[in-house]
Amino acid sequence: MHDPLPFRDRLRAAGLRFAAVAGAVAVWWAVARAQIWPPVFVPSPGSVWHQFLATSGLTGDGDGWAGYTLGEHLLASLRRMAIGCAYGVGGGIVLGLLIGLVPVLDTVLGPVVTFVRTLPPLAYLSLLVIWFGIDESPKVWLLLLAALPPVAVATADAVRAVPADYVYAARSLGAGRAQIPWRIVLPAAAPEILTGIRVAVGVAYTTVVAAETVNGVPGIGGMIRDAQRYNQTDVVVLGIILIGLSGLFFDALLRYAQRRLTPWRGRA
Amino acid sequence: MKIEKGIPVSPAIHRRGLLLGALGLAAAPLLAACADDEPAAAPGASGAAGPKQLRIGYQLIPNGDLIVKDQGWLEAALPGTKVVWSKFDSGGDVNTAIIAGAIDIGLAGSSPVARGLAAPLNIPYAVPWIFDVIGDNEALVVKPGIDSVAALAGKKVATPFASTSHYSLLAALAAAGVPESGLKIIDLEPPEIQAAWQRGDIDGAYVWTPVLAELRKQGKVLVTSRDLAGQGKLTADLAVVRKDFLAQYPAAVKTWLRQQDRAVKLTRSDKAAAAASIGKQLNLSPDEAAAQLAELVLLDLSEQAGADYLGKPGAPGKLAENLHSAAEFLTAQKKLTGAPDLAVYQSALAVQALADAA
Repeated sequence: MHDPLPFRDRLRAAGLRFAAVAGAVAVWWAVARAQIWPPVFVPSPGSVWHQFLATSGLTGDGDGWAGYTLGEHLLASLRRMAIGCAYGVGGGIVLGLLIGLVPVLDTVLGPVVTFVRTLPPLAYLSLLVIWFGIDESPKVWLLLLAALPPVAVATADAVRAVPADYVYAARSLGAGRAQIPWRIVLPAAAPEILTGIRVAVGVAYTTVVAAETVNGVPGIGGMIRDAQRYNQTDVVVLGIILIGLSGLFFDALLRYAQRRLTPWRGRA
Repeated sequence: MKIEKGIPVSPAIHRRGLLLGALGLAAAPLLAACADDEPAAAPGASGAAGPKQLRIGYQLIPNGDLIVKDQGWLEAALPGTKVVWSKFDSGGDVNTAIIAGAIDIGLAGSSPVARGLAAPLNIPYAVPWIFDVIGDNEALVVKPGIDSVAALAGKKVATPFASTSHYSLLAALAAAGVPESGLKIIDLEPPEIQAAWQRGDIDGAYVWTPVLAELRKQGKVLVTSRDLAGQGKLTADLAVVRKDFLAQYPAAVKTWLRQQDRAVKLTRSDKAAAAASIGKQLNLSPDEAAAQLAELVLLDLSEQAGADYLGKPGAPGKLAENLHSAAEFLTAQKKLTGAPDLAVYQSALAVQALADAA
């Protein structure tokens, strides 16, 4: 693996990030400590940490929040995310390929994808509940609908941008019609598709709290919602931090996958 | 009626309420910062200095508050004061607004009030009035074939969490000796309860009107909040007033109480006029409004001073015990770290203000 930065620079970047986080926590602590606003508005880092220990079952009776530990909430959300994103990404790639390769489908489906992409998830969640009930399916559907359009759009754009020379070269070297999409177009479009997937996972992340407003416990979104109703701001903050951190983690994972799967990216 | 959520208008509005709630959380420090513009004294109101403005947080519940609002009685009785009405969807949001100093008088269910008076919120507010005691407008409805609360073991029952209905459901289960772990209780807002009920996803629900009315058509009512109130598990919609405001403007609070009393008396003397006012505020026909109004128990000023409710100076009423037991329930649910002493709730009943208004 090519490493873009020497070790010393990476160490410096890590140090800088750590200092920024520590600084932000210090400001937070000072603001909470000064009691300018009631703790309901600005819970202290200490009380968020305390809630982390209590809800994760490390302290207290191990019952967590609303009957599930923090780990169970997070796992439930990640499971929904994984299923919704898997369907969304799979569907998005197929749809994007079709739109990019078949001009008729571009005309017909292009506006549909854009239409779905601009809808706020909360607007159609109640419809999904009526159609699919209150268990897992409406949540997975919502995440699917959130994740699919970015992938479809990125794939379609990338497919259209594949130089025609690649296709001609492959054809003249004896590739069959059926081989072109899978052997030539998809690999050539892969870097942009992977970027689309990163965007899609981000969009799905922003949708998970909305998806869990209906019967969302266990689930991080359900936990945040439940805590908010009881003015338990420290649990709300804990949930937000957790969503953000796990989002960072998965984005880093996807960036790593991008480097591994398309090492030629940016160097063509 | 709902403790936490307002009358279900539509799912979209509820979603919006949630979003607004989240925004409110973010904006709260700002609100708090702006809260310095306390209603300054304005001359001319009923001789003594009245407040420049009276900010009221109301909810869409068919009780006297909507009559007062619809008839403009407060505006007429407090000529030097600007009355500002803001609609809230839940008692939790009313609590937040009071902490931020954004409203002076609000409506919240007994559950949010029990919570607001406990740590960590410790909101400096008092309860001067009971808007309504929840009666037949909240009930446990089940699918045909389930004949008793005990038969709910192993079934799926939905209720909006953190609401009076949630409290009542658990009280009904406890009374029947059904452990909470013996069935699946799920958190759904009224519109989703209706959808889940029609799809057959749930076996029962503890919910309020108008969704309750829909469920009653095909289901069977096992327990109503009126039954539970008879067993000492009373739930109510309460008025809360900031203690600062009450101390500074007792005359304005007195006027406010008298208008509420007038509204309750109107529901008795002229049901049609009361129903018409409420119907206008809720976008309901007068008939529907009258039917919803009849399901609530409204109390006039002298009834509120009774030992079962707010009580009298030196003898705080039973409402304090209701709030205290709601706090104990929330503690068992781990939504509170501990219930405060009964004395905390007794001192939070604004019995002096009520007595002064008589």
